[in-house]
Amino acid sequence: MFGLYEMAFGGLTWGNILMLVIGGGLIYLGVAKKMEPVLLVPIGLGVIMVNIPMSGLMIYAPVTEPGAVPMPLMVQGGIGALGEAMGSGKIGLLNVLYQFGISNELIPLLIFLGVGAMSDFSPAMSRPISFLFGATAQLGVFIVFLIAYVTGLFTVSQAACVGIIGGSDGPPTVYLTAALAPELLGPITLVAYSYMALVPILQPPVIRALIPKKQRQIYMKPQTREVSHLEKVIFPIAVFVVSALFVPKAAPLIGMLMFGNLLYVTGVTDRLAASAGGVFVDVLTFLLGICVGALMPAIVFLNIHTLAIIGLAVVAFAFGTAGGIWAARIANLFLKEKINPIIGAAGVSAVPMAARVAQVEGQKANPRNFLLMHALGPNMAGAIATSVVAGIFMSIVP
Amino acid sequence: MIDWSLIAKIAGGGFGVTILVLVILCLVIWLIGFVIQRRSKAKK
Repeated sequence: MFGLYEMAFGGLTWGNILMLVIGGGLIYLGVAKKMEPVLLVPIGLGVIMVNIPMSGLMIYAPVTEPGAVPMPLMVQGGIGALGEAMGSGKIGLLNVLYQFGISNELIPLLIFLGVGAMSDFSPAMSRPISFLFGATAQLGVFIVFLIAYVTGLFTVSQAACVGIIGGSDGPPTVYLTAALAPELLGPITLVAYSYMALVPILQPPVIRALIPKKQRQIYMKPQTREVSHLEKVIFPIAVFVVSALFVPKAAPLIGMLMFGNLLYVTGVTDRLAASAGGVFVDVLTFLLGICVGALMPAIVFLNIHTLAIIGLAVVAFAFGTAGGIWAARIANLFLKEKINPIIGAAGVSAVPMAARVAQVEGQKANPRNFLLMHALGPNMAGAIATSVVAGIFMSIVP
Repeated sequence: MIDWSLIAKIAGGGFGVTILVLVILCLVIWLIGFVIQRRSKAKK
């Protein structure tokens, strides 16, 4: 500017401009359309921040190999080196958040603690068969993993992270991707959270296609069994012990979820539960959002992989929904008191959106039906199942 | 080159283990509920 300093206009590329529009679009969707605003607004702002050249909020390491994806610069050597690097402008504020919050998987785990402190697993406890629907709804994860890898577009680790979008659970998706394919963290997280908001559009066609109207009309009594306090306290401990014994790598995720839930149900740690599920989780959520947004500079985001992730996520949601429905229909062959197979669709997690979809679809088929509480069972079980899947991927994927 | 044995291990084995773990969880949770309900009924 007048030879005094360099402005950012010179560094703007068409890709940056497109990303600024995308960032603005995400903020619009969050604010005007109320689509996952808690995440899409910070993500949108992060996208804008990182696509202004020379803004210095997130500095990327230079690419050394041809075709490699640029990654945020990380500093080795403790807090002193970090402070020095930040002071001298070698790294930005968001590099620090990325290095100490995302790359070491801290933030997604702590968010899961907050989620646990806000979750009521009683519907899953009152009808334990919900766990089967939660498990079979993971079908989409594995089908998309297969497609993603076989098409040759993704490596095994990347395919696993693309597949986990089908679990429709944010923290396990971020946790797994930060560990196995950090270069895809931006697009995968964005797609996962955006599609969770689109569950009311994605699921109904699959539900109607796979369940005959007569079965959609099956009436279920609105009340579920009342769960005792003792059961509620034993549940998080039992789930953690069993899951961690069978899939040790899932222990951090399930441990945090169940720890939060234990605080919620004991009846004597209400203050801790309120803190974990209140401001604590809010702060972590916007830090996660802005960091994820900052992982989407044009050079990283605008490529064939992002388009493929957007397409494959639809397949994952469709097969996940189908898996839950098929399991519910098979269960009906053996159950004396029939269940409405729509509740199986809620096994894809996306709490509580998928349960609400089941409620709406159930009432459309039979206005007497009130499926919300029944659908919340598979919904909550789906959250546990996705964490188990994340642990399995971390154990098997080389 | 696609490593089909690895794919089978991850997709088939992974899905299988997921079902197995959740079936076990289902049984454990059912059993806990059953025992606690029986106990409270007996108390009454």
